[in-house]
Amino acid sequence: MLENYFPVLMFIAVGLVLGGVLLAVGRILAPHKPDPKKLSPYECGFEAFEDARMKFDVRYYLVAILFILFDLEIAFLFPWAVVIPDIGFFGYAAMMVFLAILVVGFVYEWKKGALEWE
Amino acid sequence: MAALPLEQALVLAALLFALGLAGVLVRRNVLYMLMSIEIMLNATALAFVAAGARWAQPDGQVMFVFVLALAAAEVAVGLALLLLLYRRFGTLDADALSELRG
Amino acid sequence: MSASDLPILLPAYGEILLLVLASAILLVDLFLPERLRGLTHWLSLATLAACFVLTVQVVRATGGQAAYTFGGMFVADLMANVLKLVVYAAVAAVLVYSRRYLAERGMLRGEFFVLALFATLGMAVMISANHMLALYLGLELMSLCVYSMVALNRDSATSTEAAMKYFVLGALASGLLLYGMSMLYGATGTLDLTQMAQVIAVGQVNGVVLVFGLVFVVAGLSFKLGVVPFHMWIPDVYHGAPNAMTLFISTAPKLAAFAMAVRMLVNGLIDLAGDWQQMLVVMAVLSMALGNFAAIAQTNIKRMLAYSTISHMGFMLLGLLAGVVGGNRFSAPDAYSAAMFYTVVYVLMSLGSFGMVLALSRAGFEAEELDDYRGLNQRDPWLAFLMLLLMFALAGVPPTVGFYAKLAVIDAVIKAGQIWLAVVAVLLSLVGAFYYLRVVKLMYFDEPRDAGPIAPGRDVRWLLSANGLAMLVLGVMPGSLMALCLVAVQGLYPLAR
Repeated sequence: MLENYFPVLMFIAVGLVLGGVLLAVGRILAPHKPDPKKLSPYECGFEAFEDARMKFDVRYYLVAILFILFDLEIAFLFPWAVVIPDIGFFGYAAMMVFLAILVVGFVYEWKKGALEWE
Repeated sequence: MAALPLEQALVLAALLFALGLAGVLVRRNVLYMLMSIEIMLNATALAFVAAGARWAQPDGQVMFVFVLALAAAEVAVGLALLLLLYRRFGTLDADALSELRG
Repeated sequence: MSASDLPILLPAYGEILLLVLASAILLVDLFLPERLRGLTHWLSLATLAACFVLTVQVVRATGGQAAYTFGGMFVADLMANVLKLVVYAAVAAVLVYSRRYLAERGMLRGEFFVLALFATLGMAVMISANHMLALYLGLELMSLCVYSMVALNRDSATSTEAAMKYFVLGALASGLLLYGMSMLYGATGTLDLTQMAQVIAVGQVNGVVLVFGLVFVVAGLSFKLGVVPFHMWIPDVYHGAPNAMTLFISTAPKLAAFAMAVRMLVNGLIDLAGDWQQMLVVMAVLSMALGNFAAIAQTNIKRMLAYSTISHMGFMLLGLLAGVVGGNRFSAPDAYSAAMFYTVVYVLMSLGSFGMVLALSRAGFEAEELDDYRGLNQRDPWLAFLMLLLMFALAGVPPTVGFYAKLAVIDAVIKAGQIWLAVVAVLLSLVGAFYYLRVVKLMYFDEPRDAGPIAPGRDVRWLLSANGLAMLVLGVMPGSLMALCLVAVQGLYPLAR
C-alpha cells in the first residue's frame, strides 16, 4: 500500500534537493554586488508601495476578463484538433460555427474600443 | 500502480465542494465569494471526470471542458459586476450591500 | 411523413435562426449611425416574430411528435414548442412595454436587445434540453445574460447591488445543480435524460448516490423557480433591478425554469417521484405561506409582486407534486398540465402587472410605490380597470383565468388524495387575496396623490388592453389552452406509453 506513494516521495526529495542545489550554486558562483535598486522588492513594473491590496488600474481587469474568455477557446480547439480525422464534415462545420460566434464577439469588443489601451 | 479508487475521488470532490460552499456563505469579501464559487464548480468538474472514468466514457471529460468554459464565462461577468460594485460602493464587503431590505 | 425523412437539424431550426439573427443584430447595432438606433428595437421584434413562425412550422413538420436532434441532446416535443412560443411572445411583449421606460433612462441601447435575445435563446435551449449538458448550457446562457441586464443601469447603486446578489446566489445555485448532476451521472452512467430514466427504471442503481444527487438538483431547481428556502434573491432583485428588467425576469424565465423542472424530474427522474414529491410538498407549503404573508407588509409594488411570485411558484409546485400517486402515473398528465397551465397563466398575469408599472412610470418617476396607485380610477379609468382584472386574476377571483388555474391545480391535488394540502393552498390563497384587493381599493376608493401625466404610447395601451382582457377571456374560455397543455404533457417521454 505505502509503496504506491514512493514516486511521490521521490518527487518531493528530488524537488527539495534540486531547489537547494540551484540556490547554492547561484550563491557561490554568481557575482554578488548588491545596491539599493537591486534589493528593493520589485513586481511587474510597479513601484512597490502600500500593501498588496492596492488598486490596480481598471484596464488590467478589462484585459483579464477578455483574456479569460478568448483564451478558453483552446480548451475546445485542442480535443477537436486531435480527433479531426474521425469527425468528418459535421465536426469541422461545428467548430467553424463556434469560431464564427467568437469572431462576432471579437468584432464587438474591438469596435466598442475595449482593446484600446488609451 | 493501482488507479485511484472512485470513492476517493468523489470524497475529494465532496470536500472541495463543501469548502467552496462554506466559503461563499462565510466570506464577506465579494472577491473571495467569487473564488469560492470557482472552487465549487471545479469540485463538480472533478466529480464528473471521476464518474466518467468509472463508466469508461468520455462524457465526464466533455462535461469538464464545458464546466471550465462556463466557469470562465461566469467569472468574467462576476468580475465585471465586482468592478461596478467597487466603483459604486467603494468596498467589496458584502455586508455593505444593504440598501435593499424588507 | 416519418421523422427520419426530416432534415436532421429541423427540431432546432427556431434556435438556430435566433442565434444567427441575434448575432446579426449585435453587429448591425454596432455600425448603425446614432439616428437609426431605434431600428434595433424593430429588428429584435422581427427576430422574435420570425422565430415564432418558424417554431409553428416545426410543429407542423413534426406533427406534434417528439423529434430529437444533436444525438438526442435536443428534443422538440409539443411541450417544448408550446412553451417556446409563449416565451417568444412574452419577450416581444416585454420589449414593447419597456421601450419608453428604457429610452427615458438612457438604457435603450443595442446591448439590452442583444442580451434579451440571447437570454431567450438560453431559455429555448433549456426548454428543449434532453441532456444534462444542454440543460446546463441553456441555463447558464440565460442566467449570465439576465445578470448583465440587471446591472445595465450602471449609475444606479441599487441595480448594482441587486445584480451582485443575483449573481452570487445564482452561481451558487448553478453549482448545486451541477453537483447534483455529477452525482446522477456517477450513479447512472449517462447524461441523457431519456436513457437515465431507462437505467433507473431497470433498477440496479446505487440508491444513496442517486438520492444525494436528487437533493442537490432539487435545490438548484428551486432556486431558479424562486421557492422557499431558496427565495431570498427574489425580493431584492425584483426591487433593485430597473422596472423593465424586473418585467423580463418575472416572465419568460419562469417558463424556462418550469421546463427545466419537468425535464429533470419528470423526464429523467420520474421513478424517484416518491422522493422528490415529498421535497416539493415542503417547499410548496412554505413558499405559499411566506410569499403571501410577507407580501402584506410591503409598501413597494415591485416588492409586493416579488413575494407574490414566490407564492405563485409554490402553488405551481402543487401541480408537479400531484402526478405520481403510490407509484402509478394515471393522473400525471392532468397534474402536470395543470402546473403548465398555471405557469403560462402566471406569466401572462405578471407581464400585465409589471407592464402596468412601466406604463405608469415616466422620466424621473418609477410608479413603484403602492401610494402611486391611489385614485388611479380618477386619472385613467381604463388602465385602472385593466389593473383590476390583473389583480383579480392574481388573487384567483372568478371569472378571471387566475381562478381557473388555481382550480385545476387544486383539483389535481385532491385527486392525488392530498386533501390537507388542498385546504392549506386555498386558505393561503385567501390570505393572498387581501393584498391584491388592497391595490384595487387604493385605485378605486382613495384620492390620487400623484398628479403627473399618464401617457403610455398607443402600442403599449393596446397591448396592455389585450393582456388585461385576456385574463377575462381565458377565464371564461380556458378550454382550448387547457387542452393544449394536456396534449403537450401527454407527449412527454415517460407519459407517452
